[in-house]
Amino acid sequence: MECQKIQLKEGINLHVIPTNKFKTNLLSIFLTLPLNKENVTKEALISAILRRGSTNYPTAKDLSIALENMYGASFDCGIEKMGDTHVLKFYLETINEEFLPNSQDMLKMAIDMLCDIVFSPLVENGGFKNEYVTMEKENLKQIIEGKIDNKGRYALDRCIEEMYKNKPYGLYKYGYVEDLENMTAQDLYKAYLQIIETAKIDMFISGKLDATKVQQEVQNQQHLQVQKARTANVIQNEAVEMRDTPQEMIEEMEIMQGKLVIGLTVETNTPEEKYVALLYNTILGGGANSKLFQNVREKASLAYTAGSNYLRQKNNIFIRLGIEIKNYQKAQDIIKKQLEDMKNGVFSNEDFENAKTSILATIDFIPDEQDTQISYYFGQELSNEFVNLEEYKKKIQEITKEQVVEIANKINIHTIYFLKDLTKGGEA
Amino acid sequence: MQMIKNLQVKEEVYIEKLENGLTVMVIPKKETLKKYVIWGTNFGSIDNHFLLKPENEEVQIPDGVAHFLEHKLFEQENGTNSLDVLSSLGVDANAYTTNDHTAYLFEANSNFYEALDELMNYVQNPYFTDENVEKEKGIIGQEINMYEDDPEWQVYMNAMKLMYKVNPINIDIAGSIESISKIDKEVLYKAYHNFYDLSNMLLVVCGDFKPEEILEEVKKRITKTSQVGEVQRIYETEPEEIVEKEKTVNMEVSMPIYAIGFKDKPEENKVKKCIAVQILLYLLLGKSSEGYQTLYNNGDIIGQPSLDYEFSKQYSHVLISGGARNPQKIVEMLKTQIQKFKKSGLNEDDFERVKKKIYGDYISEYGEVGNIARMFLSDYFKGINSFDYLEQYRTVTKEYAQQVLNDVFDENKMVVSIVKGKE
Repeated sequence: MECQKIQLKEGINLHVIPTNKFKTNLLSIFLTLPLNKENVTKEALISAILRRGSTNYPTAKDLSIALENMYGASFDCGIEKMGDTHVLKFYLETINEEFLPNSQDMLKMAIDMLCDIVFSPLVENGGFKNEYVTMEKENLKQIIEGKIDNKGRYALDRCIEEMYKNKPYGLYKYGYVEDLENMTAQDLYKAYLQIIETAKIDMFISGKLDATKVQQEVQNQQHLQVQKARTANVIQNEAVEMRDTPQEMIEEMEIMQGKLVIGLTVETNTPEEKYVALLYNTILGGGANSKLFQNVREKASLAYTAGSNYLRQKNNIFIRLGIEIKNYQKAQDIIKKQLEDMKNGVFSNEDFENAKTSILATIDFIPDEQDTQISYYFGQELSNEFVNLEEYKKKIQEITKEQVVEIANKINIHTIYFLKDLTKGGEA
Repeated sequence: MQMIKNLQVKEEVYIEKLENGLTVMVIPKKETLKKYVIWGTNFGSIDNHFLLKPENEEVQIPDGVAHFLEHKLFEQENGTNSLDVLSSLGVDANAYTTNDHTAYLFEANSNFYEALDELMNYVQNPYFTDENVEKEKGIIGQEINMYEDDPEWQVYMNAMKLMYKVNPINIDIAGSIESISKIDKEVLYKAYHNFYDLSNMLLVVCGDFKPEEILEEVKKRITKTSQVGEVQRIYETEPEEIVEKEKTVNMEVSMPIYAIGFKDKPEENKVKKCIAVQILLYLLLGKSSEGYQTLYNNGDIIGQPSLDYEFSKQYSHVLISGGARNPQKIVEMLKTQIQKFKKSGLNEDDFERVKKKIYGDYISEYGEVGNIARMFLSDYFKGINSFDYLEQYRTVTKEYAQQVLNDVFDENKMVVSIVKGKE
C-alpha cells in the first residue's frame, strides 16, 4: 500500500500512508513557503513560538504533561530548506492503540493536538505572547550562532553560501541575528496569519490505521475546516551559474582537522538526467567502494570520512572530507583525478553495477522507516513529479554506462571550500 | 530454540546456544523487507588487561586495540576488503566499537545469504600484515582528530575522567595517536584469539525469517569452534569515590555544553534500577518537571538535556548533558530538586505519568529492525534480555524509586564537566 493523497481544498492536502510495519503512528504538518531573505528569520522564529503554547496547551509544561499522558508521545518541530522553499515542519509521534495497556482513541487526540499547535496559537493583545517572543528570539540567536559548533556541517553550509551568494538557496535556514531585533509580537502574529493563509499545507499520517476513518477525522477537524483554499504553486528552483574556473575559499578556525568541501554543478536538462546524476554520485562518493572512499581513504590514508552527496533539488554534488591540514593540495589532486576518470569512463562495470544495486536497496528500504517514507512522498509533492517506488527502481535499472559518462562531462567544480586551523606566524 | 514472547509489544525472540559455543538470537519481523544481522563480541575499549590463553599469561595491550581490530578485520588474505565486497552486493555494511563490545553488521534485502557468507567469513578469518596495520594508522589518526574537534565528545570524555580513576572507560575508545603507534599485527592477533572466541560472541538477526531456518544457515557458515572458552579479564578495583568534582575546558563553541555525572556501583541485574533511574531523571529535569520548567522560563536552558543511565558489568553512572548559557544554573537546580525529592518524597501523579511515558518509549524501540537487533546485542553483553524492561516495568513502585534516588543521586558522587567558548 503506498501513499493516498486527498485534496482537502486547493493547496491543502492530506496524505495517508497505511502501514503495519511500526508500533507508532507518525503525523506531520508541513507549511511550505518560498525562501527569501525578507522572511527567512521571521519564519524560523514563528515556528519556535508556535511550539511554546497554543489555545489548549498554553504553556510548555501543559504540552509536556499532555504528551507524557499519551504514553510518551513526542512532538517536534523544525525548519528545513528544500531547494528554494522554506518548510516549517511539525511532527507528532504516538504509540499505536494496539500497544496501549488500555484502549483510547490516540489517533484522534494526536490529530487534534497537532492542529491546535499549528493553527491555534496562544494570542494576547493581538499578538503572540510577549514573553514567548522575547525568549524565543534569544534561543534562535543562540541557534544561529551555534552554526560553528559542528565543524563538518559548518564547512558544508559555508560552501553552499559561497556558491549561492545573494540567491535564496544561499540563505541560512534559521535566518540572521540582525533581522531578529525589530520584530514585535504583533508583527510576528500578522506574519503568522499571512503564512497560514498562503502556505502550501501538507498533512501526512502514517501508521497502522484505517485510511477512510483518518480522512473523516481530518476533514472534521475544526481548525483545518476553517482554512481557506489557496494557490500553492510549485516553486521552481533557480540553478546556480556555471563557472569556467572554480572559486576557492579558505577560512580559519581553531581546529585540529581540516574540512574540505567541494561543490559541483550538474548541467541537466531533463528530469531523467537527475537519476543518472544520482547514480554518478554513488559511483563517485556513495559508499565504501566508491572512488573517493577507495582512493582518498583506503589507498592514500588521507581521511577517515570521504564521500559525496547529490542534492536533487539544486542539482549539485557536494564532496566532503576531513583531512590533515597539510594534505589540502594532495587531497584535491586525488579528487580531481577521480572527476577526470569519471569523464573518461574510467570506472569498472562492477563499480557501475554496484552503485545500481546500492541505490535499489535504498529504494526498497524507504517503506521500512516511517519518517523516510514521509519525506519521500513530500519530496515528490514539492517537485510535482510522482514516481512510485517500482517506477523509481525501473528508472535506475535502465541507466546505461554511456549515460553516466555523458553526465560526467556536464559536471564541473564550482567552489572549493577549506576550513583550516589558525595560521600561526603568517605562513599559509 | 528457546522462545521468549513479550505480550505488551507483541514480539518474540528465539535464542540458541550452539555446541560450538556461539549464541544466536532471532527476532522475526514480518512485513519488513529489510533484513539485519549483527555479530558482536564482548570485547570493547575497556578490555585492555587480561590473561592470554592457553598459558594464562597476563597481558596489557595498548589503548585502542579493540577499535583498531574492528577496522582491520575487513582486510582479506586474497587482497580484497570485505566492506567493499559487501557494498558491491548492494548491502549496507558497517562495524563499531563501544566500551564493552565490538560489532559487525549489515542490512540487506536481496543478496542476503551471499552477504552472510562474506560477513561470517571475514569475522572468522583475520589477516593482519605489518603493511596493512601501518596504513590504518593514518586513517584512525584522522578519526581521532575528528573527535578532538568534537566538543560533545570532549565534554563526555572529561566527565568519565572525573568519575573514574582506574576503569578504562576513562580512555578514548579509539585510543590516542601515541597509543595506536604501538599497535602491531602481533597484538591484534593476540587480542583476536582471546576475544573472538565463539563462546564470547553473539549473533543477532532481525527481519522476516523463520527462526529454525536462519539458525541452520548460520550454523552452516561457522568454520571454527570455541578454542579458549571464557576470557579472564583483569580490572583494577575502581574506588567508589570520584576523582575530581569539576573540569572546564575551552573550545570553539557558541554556547557552553555540560555533562553532569553521578558515579554509581556496578551490580548484577540492573533492569529494575535502570527503569527507576530513568523515571527519576524525567522527574528531576524532564520537560514537564518543575526543575526544567523553571530553567526554561528563565531562559537558562534551550532544550531538554539528554538523560542517560549508562552501565556495563564494569561501570555504572548517570549522565545528564546538554547546552546552556550558564551550566552552573543547571547544576544548582539539579541539586535543589534532588534535595527536595529526598526530603518531601516523589509526587504520586507525576510518578505515574512519567512511568507511562517510559512505557511508550520502550514500545517505540521496536520499530526498525536495525534498532531492535542492536538493542538486543548491547543488552546481552550487559547480561540483560531486552524484553526485561517491559516485563519489570510494573514492579517499579514509587517507594522503590525513592530508595534509588537516595542511593544513586549523591552529591558526593557528582561530577561536572564543561566545555565553553574562548574568552
